[in-house]
Amino acid sequence: MRLTIARLVRSVPLLALTWALTGALAGCATAPPLTDADATAEFRQNNDSIEPTNRFFYAVNDGLDTYLLRPVAVAYRYVPGVIRRPVHNMLSNLSSPITFANDVLQAKPRRAGDTMMRFLINSTAGIGGIFDVADDLGYKAHDTDFGVTLALWGAGEGPFLFLPIIGPSNPRDAGGFAGNILLDPLTYATFGGSNALRYSRLGVGAVDARERLLDPVDQVKRTALDPYATFRSLYRQNRQSEIDRTRSDDRATVPAWFR
Amino acid sequence: MITRRHLLACTAAASLLATAGPWGRALAQAAVPAPEATAFVTRLGSALVGIIDGPGTYDDKKRRLQPLVEAAVDVEGLARFCLGRYQRTATPPQMQEFTQLFRAVLMNNIFGKIGEFQGVTFTPTTTIARDGGTQVGTLIKRPNQQPNTVQWVVAPIAGAPRIIDVVAEGVSLRLTQQSDYAAFLSRNNGDVSALIAAMRNQVGR
Repeated sequence: MRLTIARLVRSVPLLALTWALTGALAGCATAPPLTDADATAEFRQNNDSIEPTNRFFYAVNDGLDTYLLRPVAVAYRYVPGVIRRPVHNMLSNLSSPITFANDVLQAKPRRAGDTMMRFLINSTAGIGGIFDVADDLGYKAHDTDFGVTLALWGAGEGPFLFLPIIGPSNPRDAGGFAGNILLDPLTYATFGGSNALRYSRLGVGAVDARERLLDPVDQVKRTALDPYATFRSLYRQNRQSEIDRTRSDDRATVPAWFR
Repeated sequence: MITRRHLLACTAAASLLATAGPWGRALAQAAVPAPEATAFVTRLGSALVGIIDGPGTYDDKKRRLQPLVEAAVDVEGLARFCLGRYQRTATPPQMQEFTQLFRAVLMNNIFGKIGEFQGVTFTPTTTIARDGGTQVGTLIKRPNQQPNTVQWVVAPIAGAPRIIDVVAEGVSLRLTQQSDYAAFLSRNNGDVSALIAAMRNQVGR
């Protein structure tokens, strides 16, 4: 759901962010009395100091998702996989330059090399990214973003935020979101049709990402007693594991076949 | 910012929302040695896959899966972990009913996935010792899906290795479940009977 929506807003300006951050100041969660050690520990662990505001935006996004994005994603599922897969491949190929810039900023040369080879191979042999040829050649895909870069640079996550449209986040990831837009060559492109490309990527990307999340999100909503809290927990654990995984990826720069 | 990893984690977490279980920190016993833990998980995995991909109706499969899962997963410990700090305010009958409902919800979640896990393959990767359990890493592949990395946390419960948690793409299922119950309870003034009523409703559906 909003998990996906981040993709959607890749190139929307920071308006939404500012709106969220100012709105966010309005509703703060009431901390439990310090005498209740367990409740205090839980409050700190949830790291959700503006929970009422966050829950409000969760409800807003949930409504938008239920009546807008989800139905489109459900319809998109009727498109055969032979079309959906190349569409997905092209979207990932278009975001390769952003991934590459972040790999470099994270000082992960092997990952940067993988991303560059993927972009070169898939843009040419893969016919504009339609086919993921690089994967078969051993250059596996990975995702990263400027939020992870900030984390590797030592930035703390800050309090949990549920942003309008964007979904679960925190100040670090919100900054990462903005950084990703700045790192994207398409942000600056001005060729004929560049606007059309930006908007179609935004729209198609949102639908593609949402379609891939249909089952897990439905499942969480069906089984969780408090879906907001479950999404919060999933988001935070998953971000942490992504950061850990990136940090520990210190594979040698020279590929095995060369040595 | 939200990437395919998230989708995967979310899928994996949701689809495995079934299989977790802890005694948590209470475990002062020796850990399960890595080879033994790996063998345990591999055996369990192939038994489950054998039933899921084998012949028989949905109900047959369910009947054969149930004892296997019950024996492999520390359901009671898991239930206690997920109730977290509220187990101290729960009365013994509440505790008993909670555990019973927890088991039913868990089994429903697992059985609901039988169709989805058709044709799954299961490869052990690396096993490492962590506080509170031995983590057996596996790569789970389903037809037409990205592979998922899943860690099975194994600890000795009553002398035998049992699964106490499942970590799918970095997401611990027992932690996620615990935070769900904790959020529900704190919004219901910590009333365990409200949680029990909600779970009864879930099982009834």
